Amino acid sequence: MEHFDEKNTGIEESRESRSRRSALLFGGAALAGLAMGSRAFGQSSAPNDNDILNFALNLEFLEAQFYTLATTGMTLDQAGFSTKSGSGTAGGAVTVKANAKVTFTTPSLQQFASEVALDEQNHVKFLQTALGANAVAMPDIDLMNSFNALATAAGLGATFDPFANETNFLLGAFIFEDVGVTAYQGAAGLISSKTYLDKAVGIHNVEAYHAAGIRTRIFQAGAAAQSASQAIAATRAKLDGTNTDDIGVSVSGNASTIVDCDSNGLTFARDTTQVLSIVYGGGAAGKGGAFFPAAMNGTIK
Amino acid sequence: MKKLPKLFTEDLSRRKFLAGAGMTAAVAATAGCGGSHTKTNPTPTPTPTITDADILNFALNLEYLEAEFYLRAVTGSGLSSADTGASAGDVTGGMAVSFTTPAIQQYAQEIANHEQEHVRFLRKALGSAAVSRPTIDLTGSFNAAAMAAGIGPSFNPFADENSFLVGAFVFEDVGVTAYHGAAGLLSDKNNLAAAAGILATEAYHAGTIRTLISQLGDPYLGYANKISALRATAGGGAETTLDGSHIVAADSNSISYDRTTDQVLHIVYLNPTAGVASKGGFFPNGLNGTIKASAS
Repeated sequence: MEHFDEKNTGIEESRESRSRRSALLFGGAALAGLAMGSRAFGQSSAPNDNDILNFALNLEFLEAQFYTLATTGMTLDQAGFSTKSGSGTAGGAVTVKANAKVTFTTPSLQQFASEVALDEQNHVKFLQTALGANAVAMPDIDLMNSFNALATAAGLGATFDPFANETNFLLGAFIFEDVGVTAYQGAAGLISSKTYLDKAVGIHNVEAYHAAGIRTRIFQAGAAAQSASQAIAATRAKLDGTNTDDIGVSVSGNASTIVDCDSNGLTFARDTTQVLSIVYGGGAAGKGGAFFPAAMNGTIK
Repeated sequence: MKKLPKLFTEDLSRRKFLAGAGMTAAVAATAGCGGSHTKTNPTPTPTPTITDADILNFALNLEYLEAEFYLRAVTGSGLSSADTGASAGDVTGGMAVSFTTPAIQQYAQEIANHEQEHVRFLRKALGSAAVSRPTIDLTGSFNAAAMAAGIGPSFNPFADENSFLVGAFVFEDVGVTAYHGAAGLLSDKNNLAAAAGILATEAYHAGTIRTLISQLGDPYLGYANKISALRATAGGGAETTLDGSHIVAADSNSISYDRTTDQVLHIVYLNPTAGVASKGGFFPNGLNGTIKASAS
């Protein structure tokens, strides 16, 4: 627990050092990144570390709710995790079908799902502790209409229940994991505190481990699941405006495509605007939609 | 990836950055909470100046190793001379694995492609500052690692596809921890973005390899965990024993571990003894570049 003190110290240092290091931060590519970030929330000032960590916290709430519901049938609140803000504001509502617990038939997949649930719960707790009083509350989260809308957009049918069976669970998880990887990668360059950068990179890695576990199992699940992952990846790429920065699970030449990366073997980066467009299902910044029907909480939303 | 082309135009060698005891200590102090209890290697002694080029060259050495391992496993031959530099060292060992499971061969081919791409990417980014491939041993190293880990007197990761997965396991989590540790040392945001992109790819690889080995079970799972224990001894803890509920290697906050360059050197040199280590294991003549000897 003594480590938490270090983190809190780190956040204070980051605020002070930011002004001292502004010349460095505003040079070159950093400026480009910050410009992209500022566009997302319609103000001219650059996001500070709290803004970025809160942006990440919103995404972790989403992931943690999904995996906790899939493995236990309970929401975070029901499972004993706080969704309140650092100042005590209550968390938002979760829209999900009744009895969301997935009926797992493969013990190793159930184990892995529980591991991911634990990781995402830990990420929520870690960010809440790091942010302290600045932590945002959980926003409203929709895990029902969102999947239906994305399934429609991806051409997978009018409805999609990610809790219906193991394959659907894998595809539901697939929707989040690679997005988390790209979001953390895009945000890494915006973080001014070296301590938080180190932690963000560490979470980024864990999301990539998760993504690989999910994608490897989709590969093993066969052609139908692979095909669905490709449709979802294409939809994500369309939503973020590039049409190119996402690759589903497949075989290309004689190689698998487990890793979602570019021709240099580097995973893709998305700026906050692109991430919002995906999790909002194309909904307008500040308004929200899909997984966050009332938008995220915090300054980047 | 629109931010990356700028990487190629940067003069890396000019981007000096003080990576002395202060910063490194800060990174080490905040390293994995779960792993920190078993960290044995102290913070490196102050280094005068470490540039981004030094760090990217350190990474390039590791990518050469991974590329040679995977390319030889899937094709029987390694990197082409165009990708290894003017004064490339020799590579000992390695042969095409007789894959019997198409999926495993496809995973191997994918990872080989990525490691080759990483070599090319880093060499291009570094330009004339890129170091050549160091001398690499893929035979004696695995035998020594097997002996040190208690697996047996010898281990051939090219013998069959399951042994190949264990061989891959030796590298992948190390790459994740190495890039994680190095990310905070990079001063240029473009380089940081590139490193973050490479390290996430390494984490995907590690996630796949760990998933497949956990599905295989023993004896391969046992071998992997003996290797993990050896890495923990040589590299300051920072390991999560692999089983069906621990596919991810991360600390108690579910944040991946990082390692200092010293800790990584101790692992790839297969030298768990604290102190100066400058060569051995996978790199019989040491790494090329300025980061090649552990300070402690």
